[in-house]
Amino acid sequence: MTRNATPRPVPVPTPMTQPFWDGAKKRKLMLQYDPSTRTYQFWPRACSVQTGKRNLEWKETSGKGAVYASTITYVPAAGFEGKGPYVLGLIDLDEGVRIIGNVINVEPEDVAIGMRVKVAWEKLSEDINYFAFEPDKARRK
Amino acid sequence: MRGNFLKDKDVCIVAYAETKLERRSGRTAYELSAEVAEALYKKIKMGPSDIDGVSTTIPMSEAANPFWANYCTDYLGLQPRWLQTTDLGGVSHTGNVARAAMALQNGWCDTVMLLAADAPTTAWSANYHAYHDEFLDPTGLQGPPGAFGFIMDRYAAQHDLDYRGLGALAVAQRNGAVANKNACEQLREKITVDDYLNSRVISSPLRLLDCVMPCDGASGLVMMKTSRARRLGFTKRVYPFAYSEITNFNVASQQPDITQTGHTVVGPEVLKMAKMKPGDVDMFHPYDDFLIAVAMKLEQIGFCKTGQGTQFLRDTNIGPKGTLPINTGGGQISAGQPALAGGQLNLVEAVRQLMGDAGRRQVKNARNALVTGIGVIPYGRNWGSSSALVLQN
Repeated sequence: MTRNATPRPVPVPTPMTQPFWDGAKKRKLMLQYDPSTRTYQFWPRACSVQTGKRNLEWKETSGKGAVYASTITYVPAAGFEGKGPYVLGLIDLDEGVRIIGNVINVEPEDVAIGMRVKVAWEKLSEDINYFAFEPDKARRK
Repeated sequence: MRGNFLKDKDVCIVAYAETKLERRSGRTAYELSAEVAEALYKKIKMGPSDIDGVSTTIPMSEAANPFWANYCTDYLGLQPRWLQTTDLGGVSHTGNVARAAMALQNGWCDTVMLLAADAPTTAWSANYHAYHDEFLDPTGLQGPPGAFGFIMDRYAAQHDLDYRGLGALAVAQRNGAVANKNACEQLREKITVDDYLNSRVISSPLRLLDCVMPCDGASGLVMMKTSRARRLGFTKRVYPFAYSEITNFNVASQQPDITQTGHTVVGPEVLKMAKMKPGDVDMFHPYDDFLIAVAMKLEQIGFCKTGQGTQFLRDTNIGPKGTLPINTGGGQISAGQPALAGGQLNLVEAVRQLMGDAGRRQVKNARNALVTGIGVIPYGRNWGSSSALVLQN
């Protein structure tokens, strides 16, 4: 199916997700933290998936992790037309959550399971920095 | 284990119908439903006033209408006393058999029409919102093929993925589509394992021939109490005999093993309910959005060991004359996927086989079938809803 070129989608924060995007603007990866079970979770929502309580806190995280799985996209999604093959990672952050992001500043074929990565930021608009990941040359967490 | 409310065979399927699958038919889910309903009336010698129970699944092409089932039954001239819309994606169809059984057993209605219609290649009005707008769409992950790219990549790292086994499945299902006049014409052409291996990569390591092709189409079934079916002279009866379903397997885990799914729960459970072992299954009709899903379900239900699904496919005769016939009508991968009506394809083929109507792809002496459903692909996980249904004749 041929699509008319559309711009890459830019998130519109809601009051609930605003802290995530406020952090992103300062290039900080903020995640929701459940103090009663001491666990992080992603994607943002109003309640803990462990307890159902609405007592989540926002915490800055290391932004570091490892590739759990990756896929090179040869048929671009809406807003990515004309962008050559690009690679996405399912990233296991050291804080114990999994997050989907583009892996940038690397040849797509070089991304492999277990590879250490750190968060990187792509500026999508005046207010929105979008999270991505890039190889982390530092050896360990 | 949960009780088996189907064990007495007190409800049955007495008829099935389906439209031809077509790309860009220009028709609506309402029109497709009308074609199926007319075919069912003809088979059961009844009319709209006899149908007092209806189940539907939300079509992608009508998803923006929150009153889909109301509009659809109004369109068809139906006045249901029991009306069910199920939004479990590809689990909805086996799920609706179980739900209709409960409605019949509890006296809500006497004659249920189970409809599934969608026209995604003519119109598309679905919008998932939730995490998509902010946390997924801006990444450029290419929908289900992207998600299954992750799943296959991880599976291949944990296990020995034999692509020739997936190719054998692609070939067997394509043979089924060639023998199925309702399959999309574009897909009614034989392929080889090499055709599969050489098909272009969409979302690595996922290839084009790993995937379903969207199309428009509809199907339907009629269910009633067995006592009534006998009284009315329906001699071809297919019984739902055991059903199990789970949604959001492993939901609270933030780093689950994505090679595992809810079929590790519902597969063994449904066989136990039916007092069957995997070797007792005469035919397997698994929901097939991607080939790897079939391999994973073979493992998780217990046909083979974990990690051996693709070897099982490579080494087993899975054609209609084989030891375990799989998706004999082509499945969705080779017949076409009418989006959210797609799951009923696998189910209708199982019913057709158990009624002995499958012509040159008929599985001889088949007494039972195992049908599965898959629904939804949640964020960064494997499929979200899993179902398994045992049918007997």
